[in-house]
Amino acid sequence: MALSAQDKILYVANKLGLSTLGNMQGSTGAVYDVDTDLSGQIFSSASRHQNPGVTNITENQFEVNEALLVENIAFYVKDGNGDTLNFQNVYGSSAVIVYDLIIGNKRTMKNTPVFGAGSPYTFANSGVTSDGGPDAALSSYSPRHQTFLEGAGILIPPQVQWYVDYRIFNVVTGATIAATEETALGCYLFGTRVLLNFNTTI
Amino acid sequence: MSQVGKLGYVDSKLGAPTSGQQTTRILFNTIEVPGTTSSLSFFKNFQGLTDGQTNLTQNKLDSMESMVIKTIWLAQFTSANVLESFGGLVQQTLSIIVGNQTVVKNLPIQFNQGVNGQAFDRLHENAGVITDDQAATSTAQVIQPVEIRLLTDIVIPPQVAFEVRIESNAGVYGTGAVVCALSGYGKIFSAGSSF
Repeated sequence: MALSAQDKILYVANKLGLSTLGNMQGSTGAVYDVDTDLSGQIFSSASRHQNPGVTNITENQFEVNEALLVENIAFYVKDGNGDTLNFQNVYGSSAVIVYDLIIGNKRTMKNTPVFGAGSPYTFANSGVTSDGGPDAALSSYSPRHQTFLEGAGILIPPQVQWYVDYRIFNVVTGATIAATEETALGCYLFGTRVLLNFNTTI
Repeated sequence: MSQVGKLGYVDSKLGAPTSGQQTTRILFNTIEVPGTTSSLSFFKNFQGLTDGQTNLTQNKLDSMESMVIKTIWLAQFTSANVLESFGGLVQQTLSIIVGNQTVVKNLPIQFNQGVNGQAFDRLHENAGVITDDQAATSTAQVIQPVEIRLLTDIVIPPQVAFEVRIESNAGVYGTGAVVCALSGYGKIFSAGSSF
């Protein structure tokens, strides 16, 4: 039988000696941030970013007894107006993001590609755009740029810093593509969330 | 048997290390200017490719790394960065060779192009959507890459050469690039408490 998200959280918590995590509130959550500094890292400078316009966290670590089991890692673009845009619509189909997810001092996702063309795991893509009008024909796709984690996901434990390290390339030429303030890369991590619950402690 | 169980089972049969960071692993490799050919071999040539064109330096995983392939992804780009149908619309087959063993044999890929509408996977929601014939551009994509979800877990053990081979009767792959990605569950080296 496959490991459930809750089982995985409790398994890792037990390994880390977090005996009270199981008493906390289970939930669903997502954290996001944008590399507005164009540093090649997302989440590491979240404490300086506007909330909730750019990020929904105040620092890149969870507080005591809070955690996130990452089940989906997604990328998007934020322009100078603060608008959230599809990566392919801005960078083009041949752009590819190659990223690492680092938790503490450990690389948990290694040189993982996310292709502008939609990649991999685009099966359920329904992000379509039309050329206007209620009966207009479909004119182009807006592909997904997500990594759905196999198995039960990866746990970000409480009080441990995390960040996403990335570079953007053109897969045809191999050249690096530099982001600009108008094309800053954003990322969200979605999954099963553990929230601090005082009921049993106060 | 789960993918985690299968990877552990195969690794133990081969005497490979079973420790390491469990993760989702995606390997990819690019062939530049493939032209018209009856055979493509991915994960065979790494010379001259950048980190944006492949995330391996040789056709095998490191000694402490292994993975289970769950999904095969294929895409073809023009030199103007436009996504186009993989190999035109002609029928092609895909084989995966691990070591000296063929583990996926002559699997047809053409049904999984969007315009065909006959994808193997019933979750392939967009299969068969036809656009209004607007010319595709780099930022207005009218098709989807080819993607096939495997029904069985295919293991790539540590230090064993592997290859993805595409065969056709003169597939037209153009003057841009073709990319193959293998996605699934894997283990990457983790020093843990040993350093």
